[in-house]
Amino acid sequence: MHTPENHLEQLKLTQDLLAKLNKDKLLTEKELASVVEELAIQIKEKEEKVKELDELNRDLRHQIELTEKNASKMEIAVKELESFSYSVSHDLRTPLRAVHGFTRILMEDYFEELPEDSKFYFEEILKNTAKMGELIDNLLEFSRLAQKSVSKETVDTKSMVKDIIKELKLIEPDRKVKFIIKDLYPIKGDKNMLKQVFYNLLQNAHKYTGKKDKAVIEIGGKKSGNGIVTYVRDNGAGYDEKYADKLFGAFQRLHSSEEFDGTGIGLAIVEKIIKKHGGEIWSNSKIGEGATFYVSLPEK
Amino acid sequence: MPKSKHKEVQILLVEDNESDAILTKRALSKVNLANNLVHLKDGAEALDYIFARGKYEERNPKNVPRVIFLDLKMPKVDGLEVLKEIKSNEVTKIIPVVVMTSSQEESDLIASFKLGVNSYVVKPVDFEKFSETIVQLGLYWMVVNKTP
Repeated sequence: MHTPENHLEQLKLTQDLLAKLNKDKLLTEKELASVVEELAIQIKEKEEKVKELDELNRDLRHQIELTEKNASKMEIAVKELESFSYSVSHDLRTPLRAVHGFTRILMEDYFEELPEDSKFYFEEILKNTAKMGELIDNLLEFSRLAQKSVSKETVDTKSMVKDIIKELKLIEPDRKVKFIIKDLYPIKGDKNMLKQVFYNLLQNAHKYTGKKDKAVIEIGGKKSGNGIVTYVRDNGAGYDEKYADKLFGAFQRLHSSEEFDGTGIGLAIVEKIIKKHGGEIWSNSKIGEGATFYVSLPEK
Repeated sequence: MPKSKHKEVQILLVEDNESDAILTKRALSKVNLANNLVHLKDGAEALDYIFARGKYEERNPKNVPRVIFLDLKMPKVDGLEVLKEIKSNEVTKIIPVVVMTSSQEESDLIASFKLGVNSYVVKPVDFEKFSETIVQLGLYWMVVNKTP
């Protein structure tokens, strides 16, 4: 029964409920407001971060442009230098040939009239001009290398090495050298350049074992990763590890001309070729006991 | 320089460098091949001589050298141009041409062989080797090789 007391009671309850709901609504509004404020701050932070990134991006792009410009400047400079050293060495050979030639003519035509002392001096002139010719040839070869492009073919290392050994034996038939040929694997690269590599390494081994009674040169290879490591080991004079960083320098030598003849370009050429093939070269040695040179190159 | 109107020319040497010319002539005279040698100093003159025109129009065009030693790098008309003209003419293309040069450039080599050079020789610095090379070539083309 709806009595007036009941109505009042009901009204009061509803009033309380409404008041509570209002209070809750206020809280929720307050919460929403603070959440919105929080979001606004975060958005501002993100916008600032994006701005920073954009600036960094721009800086990076600028740097890349500068680096590319510098790289192409350097490329041009290197090419110019190489073509310069090519022309210079090429042009130097002609007058050198004249010096060598006319000195020889002097000796030939006036041999009888020449005092004994002078013959020695003439020989020295001839020896030195010949040496200079060799240096120029080496410089020419070295500077031309950089301009050559690498052709990719599968090279039969074993037969190449056998040919080189035959050539070495022909050049110095009197020398008794023991060649040990171990496993050799085909290599992918430029046939002519690779022949140069192995020729230089074997020729060095041949040369620096020149003073040993029992010269032994071993050549072999093994698979390593996705490439082949080939080594040439000799039991010759070896080199001082203290100066190992000069080993592959152009015209750098670790032995005197009296001990062993040479211009110091052989290993520099080898290193250049190996680098062109994306490979690596390293070595170790013990003075008086020999040296081992390793080259790693891609497999076929 | 001899006016070879009547004398039969054997070797034509086209070389602009005086020293190289002297060395070459000396090497050839040692094996008696320099007697009828004509030495010209540039490509333009060489062409006039071979085709009996210009300065050499009084030459007998049938009197062709038995071998031509040709330097590559020369002023005015260079060796390759001379080679080209010689090898594209019906009468002169049978003359053996030996290109002698300081250049080991692959491109020069290829260009010369494409034009039909008979031999390509790089002049070594060492006089002995230079002489040997010249002499061998001279003897080969003059004595050993039979040309029509």
